[in-house]
Amino acid sequence: MKTILAVLAVFCMGSVALAAPERYLHVKVDDPAGREHVRVNIPLSLAEKVIPAINQGQLRDGKVELGNFHANGVDLKMLFDAVKSAPDGEFVTVQEPDTDVRVAKSNGKMIVHVIDKEGKEKVDVTIPWEVAQALASSGDKQLNVEAAIQALEKAGDTTLVTVTDNSQTVRVWIDSRNTSD
Amino acid sequence: MLLLGKIGLGFLGTALVAGAVVSSEGFIDVKVHEKQTNGTHISFVVPAMIVPVTLKFVPNHYLAEGSADLRRYLPVIDAAISGLADCPDGPLVDVTDPGEHASVVKSGGSIVVDVDDPDETVHVSVPLHAMQSAIDEIAAAGGPI
Repeated sequence: MKTILAVLAVFCMGSVALAAPERYLHVKVDDPAGREHVRVNIPLSLAEKVIPAINQGQLRDGKVELGNFHANGVDLKMLFDAVKSAPDGEFVTVQEPDTDVRVAKSNGKMIVHVIDKEGKEKVDVTIPWEVAQALASSGDKQLNVEAAIQALEKAGDTTLVTVTDNSQTVRVWIDSRNTSD
Repeated sequence: MLLLGKIGLGFLGTALVAGAVVSSEGFIDVKVHEKQTNGTHISFVVPAMIVPVTLKFVPNHYLAEGSADLRRYLPVIDAAISGLADCPDGPLVDVTDPGEHASVVKSGGSIVVDVDDPDETVHVSVPLHAMQSAIDEIAAAGGPI
């Protein structure tokens, strides 16, 4: 009996030890004067359950329909295809009248710099390459957000997005802490 | 005397079981405090199971419109509540503006919302299980799902 209890205790402790810690997506928005701030901490397991349940607009069953979606006039599919075939570390640059978008893959990550030519806003996006591939895994016309979230859960602690402009700074990152302080 | 003691013990046991059943879904805690002079102050704590039980006695036609609106978002709501129930306790949202502060925290199986602005402070704590039961009752008021 004592042996059985000891084995059960070891089994339970082992299960607890092996259980993966919860991963969190954090969003932090601050204004330069420090008077306003927003903190959001979303467990990725929650996002993984909610995203597939949303069927609104272009987001259905965990996928975003792209069609001929352009962001600031930039063809995202064309950009992704160009980066995929480019050598590691080499930037693909798309120049628009108001902004330059520079994208590269480097050290297992997809890096996007959006530079506002008037110097008002700067956006830096760093996505683990596995997440970028998961996003593109549903073919040309869809972004697979559900698969991307699952890939994010396996990625290490990383800052995903930073946005800096005159009125606020935004940072989005993932780690295993349940607070953003 | 022995018989009276046994009867008393029976009543006590029944009361304990009833109390356990009533409090099994937790408690809804609401506090509202208006900051102006002679402002309203509300504070009550009720067993959460009262809400779905009470909804059963509300005629369906009063809930029909709410039910129709709710059904559109039911899969998302169910997924959100289920996801929240499974995730660890901690702060979910915290917003600070000059003079105002709002927070949403998951704590001990409940969602706790606190709002503090120049006019009032509000504290609401609702168990997730009771939230799900109440939403299911409202959604069912519009007929079988």
